[in-house]
Amino acid sequence: MRDVWIAGAGMTRVGRRTEGLRDLMAEAAHAALATASIERPDAIVVAAMNPEEFLGDGNFASNVATHLGFADVPTIRIETATSSGAAGFYAGFAQVAAGLARRVLVVGGEKMTHLPTPRVSELIGRSIDPYERSYGATMPALAGLVTRALMARQPIGEREISQVSVKNHAHAARNPYAHFREPVSLERVMSSRMVADPLRLLHCCPISDGAAAVVLTAERTPVRVAGIGQGTDTLAIRHRYDLTSFRATQAAARAAFAMAGFGPARVDFAEVHDAFAPFELISLEDLGLVPPGKAVRATMHGETALDGRLPINPSGGLKARGHPLAATGLAQLVECVWQLTGRAEGRQVDGRVALAHSIGGLATNNWVTILESA
Amino acid sequence: MIETIAASRCRRCGLVVAPPAPYCPWHPVAMTPTTVAGVGEIVSFTTLHSPPEGFRSPLQLALVALEGGARFLCHGAETRSLKIGSRVAIEAVDEVYYFAHLGAVDRARLFWRRAGHAGDRVNAITRSVVKKLWRGGSGGASG
Ligand SMILES: [Zn+2]
Repeated sequence: MRDVWIAGAGMTRVGRRTEGLRDLMAEAAHAALATASIERPDAIVVAAMNPEEFLGDGNFASNVATHLGFADVPTIRIETATSSGAAGFYAGFAQVAAGLARRVLVVGGEKMTHLPTPRVSELIGRSIDPYERSYGATMPALAGLVTRALMARQPIGEREISQVSVKNHAHAARNPYAHFREPVSLERVMSSRMVADPLRLLHCCPISDGAAAVVLTAERTPVRVAGIGQGTDTLAIRHRYDLTSFRATQAAARAAFAMAGFGPARVDFAEVHDAFAPFELISLEDLGLVPPGKAVRATMHGETALDGRLPINPSGGLKARGHPLAATGLAQLVECVWQLTGRAEGRQVDGRVALAHSIGGLATNNWVTILESA
Repeated sequence: MIETIAASRCRRCGLVVAPPAPYCPWHPVAMTPTTVAGVGEIVSFTTLHSPPEGFRSPLQLALVALEGGARFLCHGAETRSLKIGSRVAIEAVDEVYYFAHLGAVDRARLFWRRAGHAGDRVNAITRSVVKKLWRGGSGGASG
């Protein structure tokens, strides 16, 4: 397997955008190609979760490639629900590692805010097991079940969960690409309206538009892909025997660290899938970044803040940078590249090894990617 | 009668799933049809305040570990005083499953039923517990 390097990274500002998805993807893709000083990639991977229903557009690989001015570049489209961006990165990585292509553009994005919120929730909810969906289960509902089980297992209260939101909003306030630029207080999080008891509105990520892109190359650059792993679990939450950790994250982390040839102790900072605030606590332990049962203490002691020992979600995370579905897994990697190369102005952290963690569906198809400064 | 819920069991790992599925989620092995009793323990529950179209708000959802081994997602009429580990009975109303909290008296009677006594009375009780709580609702929950 050849070494794979990152030649360029770019993304749009995340939020409520008036542009179409193709234009958002073009903005991110051309930014990534420009930083890579590459005009034309050998191949393109497009990540989009559901443009068919959000936009009514199909044949999306050709659609995007043509719009970018690359009608003659071989392009595929990749989807693993909310982790599609990370899956797209894997597809591009595999092409370069196998020697099938030397320079691959991976671009992902989603456009949703033009639709009413109940419609968006319903479309995202289609990634849930059909039987559970027939009982009205939505992503927040299943996350509510997970959260209550977590609070019963560990001494975790509403305050501890809310602190994750407070921290990630504080980080996003320093990120010009973030959906939310305003810090929020603990009181405001804890008094926001109940969505799926015990989850409140400010424990949940927003509905966002945006796109992100990276260029992968077989030529040496300052950032190397040290490892990447995928992990899976049952579609139905009722077929699992533990709600308070995600098998898919644990398996993805094992595979990624095995490829990297080192363990979680080497990770200096991470972008973690906090679609719901308690998921950050669960994921820190599933990834091995903190010992079992220690995520709350690390969070409450400020270890996971920008100036802490192990900064988590310096971008603001899904919670506050925003969650434009298939853009998210790539936006995490863009943030990691910017941090590793000293280009995260206003929120710069120190570190040589970065980890990105992306959850697909209710943790049915997860990815862990590890980047390293050369 | 205590509700009998259709399920299936994996010949390889013993996993029981409800409703029945052709294959075990973990093994490409055809599952054997079986049934489980609609009695179990709350694994987790939530109240959804913005349910999808076709469901009334607030929507009570619970994940229940049935005694026969399967875990089951169902609706509830009432989650006040409910805790993880609470004993519940499950009943189908118009082909939709609901759980209801079993009080101490109901639990004692369930015990006697298992011991081979007073089965009919217990069945009547679990049924009435569910109906009493549920019939207060206005329906429209079948989605
Ligand atoms: Zn099996």
